[in-house]
Amino acid sequence: MRKILLKTHKFLSSLGFAIVLLILIAAFIVIGTVIPQHLDASYYLERYGSFGKLIVAADLDTAYSSPIFMVLAALFTINLVLCTFRSLKGQLSFSRRSFSTVGEAGGIHVHQVDCKSAQQYFTNKRYTIEKTEEGFRASTYTWGVWGATIVHIGIIIIMIGGVIGAATAQESSMNLLPGNEIYFDDKGFSLRLDDFSMTFTDTGTVSQYVSDVTITDDDGSSFSRSMWVNNPLSHKGVKLYQASYGWANNLKIVDRDSQTIVKEGYMLNNSSYFHQDSHLSVYLYRYYPELGIGGNQQPINLSERERNPHYAVTLYQFGNPVESYIIGPHETIPFENLDITFTDSQAYTGLLFRSDSSFIVVSIGFVFIILGMIISFYFYPRSVVYGKETLTTYSRKNNWVYAQSIAKQLHGVVRTPHGKD
Amino acid sequence: MEMLAYAENLTFTIAFFLYVGTGLLFLLYLTKLSVKVEKPAVAASIGGLTFHTAAMVLRTIGAGRLPLSNQYEFAMSFAWGIVVCFLVIYAIYRFAAIGAFVFPLTMLVMGYAAMQSKAIKPLMPALQSYWLTFHVGTAILSYGAFALACAIAVIFLIDAKRNEGKRILKDPQISDILTYRVIAFGQLMLTIVIISGAIWAQKAWSRYWAWDPKETWSLITWIIYAVYLHLRLRRNWRGKAAAWFAIIGFVSVIFTFVGVNILLPSLHSYTA
Repeated sequence: MRKILLKTHKFLSSLGFAIVLLILIAAFIVIGTVIPQHLDASYYLERYGSFGKLIVAADLDTAYSSPIFMVLAALFTINLVLCTFRSLKGQLSFSRRSFSTVGEAGGIHVHQVDCKSAQQYFTNKRYTIEKTEEGFRASTYTWGVWGATIVHIGIIIIMIGGVIGAATAQESSMNLLPGNEIYFDDKGFSLRLDDFSMTFTDTGTVSQYVSDVTITDDDGSSFSRSMWVNNPLSHKGVKLYQASYGWANNLKIVDRDSQTIVKEGYMLNNSSYFHQDSHLSVYLYRYYPELGIGGNQQPINLSERERNPHYAVTLYQFGNPVESYIIGPHETIPFENLDITFTDSQAYTGLLFRSDSSFIVVSIGFVFIILGMIISFYFYPRSVVYGKETLTTYSRKNNWVYAQSIAKQLHGVVRTPHGKD
Repeated sequence: MEMLAYAENLTFTIAFFLYVGTGLLFLLYLTKLSVKVEKPAVAASIGGLTFHTAAMVLRTIGAGRLPLSNQYEFAMSFAWGIVVCFLVIYAIYRFAAIGAFVFPLTMLVMGYAAMQSKAIKPLMPALQSYWLTFHVGTAILSYGAFALACAIAVIFLIDAKRNEGKRILKDPQISDILTYRVIAFGQLMLTIVIISGAIWAQKAWSRYWAWDPKETWSLITWIIYAVYLHLRLRRNWRGKAAAWFAIIGFVSVIFTFVGVNILLPSLHSYTA
């Protein structure tokens, strides 16, 4: 039993297993970039045929939250934790020892180096130096052995952060018109949209979306701020983002005979209003703030600046199309006893609310990874032994480069790993 | 404004032809017809880089920001990163022969840049952040390093089949070590690219990781190079297998750069 456990542990913590997992993970995440994600099951069945069944069955339509991916990620985390633990012992004893001759290519010889000047050089370079019978030995960056472990810990922290995020993060979004107010009862504050505006570049593209909001806490204290893309607002653990925008278009239907307003209210693009009495549907295809004519004589929107506002409207009665119109604001479509108009439009802001405490955790992981990589690549342990008028360099990485640089500094001659000068 | 665009075009074209010249000179060096061409070749590459830098400065003035935000600008900067990485390695190791492999690659990337739309477009809201410079700046260095590593790996594969006297770099072990060092630098930069992107995404899109195709493909590239680094260090993978890994990694880099923009819908598609 113990033997099996040991074998399992050895396998789970092995580099071979890690490599296989990494390749599987890399291959699997490609799927999510090739197969469109988060669509209806019917889409996959229609488009991919019998392969579509597999996509739906294996949850490849939500690849990054599918059981297969979760299992791969979990195995990888286990592997990383075990492998990091396993190498801890060796690293601990390595960093305690003042000296090691473990190295790439079994050490490289540098000839024609004077013992005294070499010792002086390594003393100046803050190496730890020990005298030996034949000369000396010196080492530096012993702590650099931790580099890889620090990177691994960073990755483990990020995996933990990811799990925390998936379990606790909350997100919602809301469209608001100036004057609208929403209340976050679980957080104890309200948000009012004071104004929403778009700024434009010379060519008419939107350069920024700005929402001016006032936040009022339950205790009555309040503050106002502007937020825009790349400038979110943080309050009581919620982050608020400028996420989208759109147009709310005011539909007004008047009964011509009685001169009464039958309907007045906002409609979004691509929506319908059904008027029961005349079995009439008013379908607003879209609002064009700046109407233009495209290459194929179709109406197009040139920009979001309200320079030539128009509405594309289709009327349906008993489900059948009656007529399509492109009308300006306050232009009337007469239909039976009704006058149908769109009076004006107002830009609304789309705000996204997200609370996700995992970002701080993940950020700590980021720091570990970058720090660990710098240590691993540039502060790896290296040591030299001087004896028999030869200096031998040892390093697990870049020993050749290391030997070259030392030879250059000390005017010595390197014998390449091949044994040739 | 038109003068600026004209000057930018001119300096870009001069840089391109200087790189063509550099490539030819290095090829001449490679064929061992003349070793004397090393210095002129390096001079031509420095000349090319000077005009290239001038084109980027002119672009910066014209656009009022660093040239880092669409395919043309990034390709131009990417090529710049390759040449800078090459010259740094040349300054340290003096391996001129690498130039014969680096400059054809540089010409390809410059050619790709030339085919893209050069119109200066204002930055869309999501890109208006100081993270842009950092995120894309490190990407240039990372991609430049991976391109260089790929070129050295190709040299290794050619050398592996040759007798000692005919080798491009006299010791193939050296090209192996160089590939490793350059990849390590590229991987560190790529890590910073991905992390700075995550921090930026948290500010701009509300999520530090959203499996956007560009993100995903950078992660795939990162995994490939991570596997390379582990196999090389822990399993002592040297030689051919490692060299092929360096080339596969660069294919992934190119796909992340070009393929994702063309083939996959992505939040990173800023070219349209």
